[in-house]
Amino acid sequence: MKAVRGLGPDDPLPREARIAAAVMRPRFGMGLSVLMAVLPVSAIAALFWALFATEAPWFVLLGLVVLIALLLGTIPASVAIGLSAVAVALAGGDPAQSWAPTTARWIAAGVFVLTASGLVWIVAALRATLLRLDAMLAEQGRDRAQLAERSAFLTSVLASSTDCIKVLDLTGALTFMSEGGQRVMEVSDFNAIAGCPWPDFWQGSGQADALAAIAAAREGRSAGFIGEAATMAGRLRWWHVAVSPIAGADGQVERILSVSRDITALRESEETTGYYARLIENSSDFIGMARVNGRVFFLNPAGCRLVGLDATAVTSVRMGDFCTPEQRAEFEEVIIPAVRRDGSWSGERLLRHFVTGEPIPVLSTMFPVRDSGGRLIGYGTVIRDFRERKAAEERQAIVNGEIAHRLKNTLAMVQSIATMTLRRTLPPDELARFDERLQALACSHDLLHRSSWHATDLEELARGVLDNLGLLPCCHLSGPAVRLGARAAMPTALLLHELATNALKHGALSQAGGEVDLGWRRESEGDELVLDWVERGGPAVSAPRGRGFGSRLVSMGLLGKGGTTLDWAPSGLHASFRAELAEIEG
Amino acid sequence: MRQFGAIVLVVEDEPVQRMGLIAIVEEAGYQAVEAADADQAVAILERRTDIRIVLADIDMPGSMDGLRLAALVRDRWPPIEIIVTSGGRVPALERIPARAVFLPKPLNERRVRDQLARFAS
Repeated sequence: MKAVRGLGPDDPLPREARIAAAVMRPRFGMGLSVLMAVLPVSAIAALFWALFATEAPWFVLLGLVVLIALLLGTIPASVAIGLSAVAVALAGGDPAQSWAPTTARWIAAGVFVLTASGLVWIVAALRATLLRLDAMLAEQGRDRAQLAERSAFLTSVLASSTDCIKVLDLTGALTFMSEGGQRVMEVSDFNAIAGCPWPDFWQGSGQADALAAIAAAREGRSAGFIGEAATMAGRLRWWHVAVSPIAGADGQVERILSVSRDITALRESEETTGYYARLIENSSDFIGMARVNGRVFFLNPAGCRLVGLDATAVTSVRMGDFCTPEQRAEFEEVIIPAVRRDGSWSGERLLRHFVTGEPIPVLSTMFPVRDSGGRLIGYGTVIRDFRERKAAEERQAIVNGEIAHRLKNTLAMVQSIATMTLRRTLPPDELARFDERLQALACSHDLLHRSSWHATDLEELARGVLDNLGLLPCCHLSGPAVRLGARAAMPTALLLHELATNALKHGALSQAGGEVDLGWRRESEGDELVLDWVERGGPAVSAPRGRGFGSRLVSMGLLGKGGTTLDWAPSGLHASFRAELAEIEG
Repeated sequence: MRQFGAIVLVVEDEPVQRMGLIAIVEEAGYQAVEAADADQAVAILERRTDIRIVLADIDMPGSMDGLRLAALVRDRWPPIEIIVTSGGRVPALERIPARAVFLPKPLNERRVRDQLARFAS
């Protein structure tokens, strides 16, 4: 922007004129001015009369009159002319003879008046012109200063605005860009882009929008659009653009103003919010929100589908309306207080289908929703449809029950077949041992079935096996809770069974007062399980000579692959079993 | 033989298991009468008055399962003792008639013998 010309050497008025104007500027009131005119004229007239009498050079008074006209204006000058004329007329007379002037003096005075009046008229015109010119120039100077001030203000506004303010010509070429605009557009040298077509800066549909906006501005209309354009440093930003016509003095569109604002951050935050909204809208889980008073104000489409609620009816229901009649009281009296107290509640519950009334099993999570100031504004809930899961669980339970049932029936069949086949050839004792082993196996199956074939508790298994033999009263069990996986449960059950039957036949439990301590613990930083079977109070024992099925089962250990230490101490058998806990639990 | 003369009615639809049960009963010194389902068992009970104990499988096809049979027996022939057995779940306590005993399959022969002795004495 060109600097506005200040008052300086190129002032249109010559220096002399300025001084004259300054001198001529009226300073006094009319009375004072007339007095100031009368005094010098009277003084000089009196002086001349005293010094020169009739020979006085009266025309000298002309200069005085002109000076008065120049400095004090026409009226004081007129008074000065009159006074001078009287002085001139009277000066010629001899005071000793008569005061009345001679004819020649009247004529001289008349000539004086005419000459002086002419001069005063010219001087007055000159004075008026000079004064008007001076006032005009002073006003012009004030205007210029104001203009300069306004211009400086606008320049600083343009420079400090973070909007990119541009002026385009009617073809859309860049002619000006504000300083602040150059900063946000990362322009290092405006000359490099001056004259470039502005629409070319826009990406994609922005270019067409820019062209349309220019066309509109040319027709005198304002237009706006949102588009993507790269800064000169190549960074893509989103801009909100307002394009408007700049009219010239004749009212015709002369240039085009374009103001663009960087809205990338705003757009990103809007985009993020949009993502959240889409996330919730597209979720297959029921996601809803209610106010503190329980009135629902949002429910996503999946939620509406789950409970058969029309989207338009969402805001007319309350949180409690989603409950089955049986659970409504629990919801109001247990769940909501828990959410307030603990900050959340999770659990299985039943929802009510709004159309059919059918109860819907769900897994529900509820939590308070607070605003940025921490004030409770409502409750949020995320609910997962558990119907399929429930049905699958039920199906699985039925299948598991059926498997267990068939398994035990098969064992019963095996038992019957063995009994029928062997009872004539085997001593009853041996048959009984077979039966009992079958029992131990069935026991481990039973326990595994109860936990859906995942794992059972070691103590529970040991109790089951020992109870089957009626030995629980003389066995002391102790140890931490240990989960036995499906792979470990059966060998462990059979092993404990063999130890128990052996103790019953040959060991501590073969006589009254004999006892067994069955203890287990974790070792090696909890990685290993060690189980000890210690007999006491029985007859002196020694290692069996033969190696029957029972002793082989025992030597195979908890997982059927070793880890057994047997100490046939005279005081009683001490059997120790070691296995990796991970394998035991797996 | 101990408790000679006590007669046990074995009700089991599966023939091999029925034979096994009869063997256990006879081995223990009792006399066994067999029935393949609840209806047969009821017919026998209506005909004979010497049955002392009913040993019945719960899971049986036909008009009645073992538990309904047990309830019927308790109702119509109160003095008769009842043992029910099953490879399935342990039935709910209230479904087992008073004095009746449940033993899981595969049967622990020693327990069956003990229970029979207790009922026969």
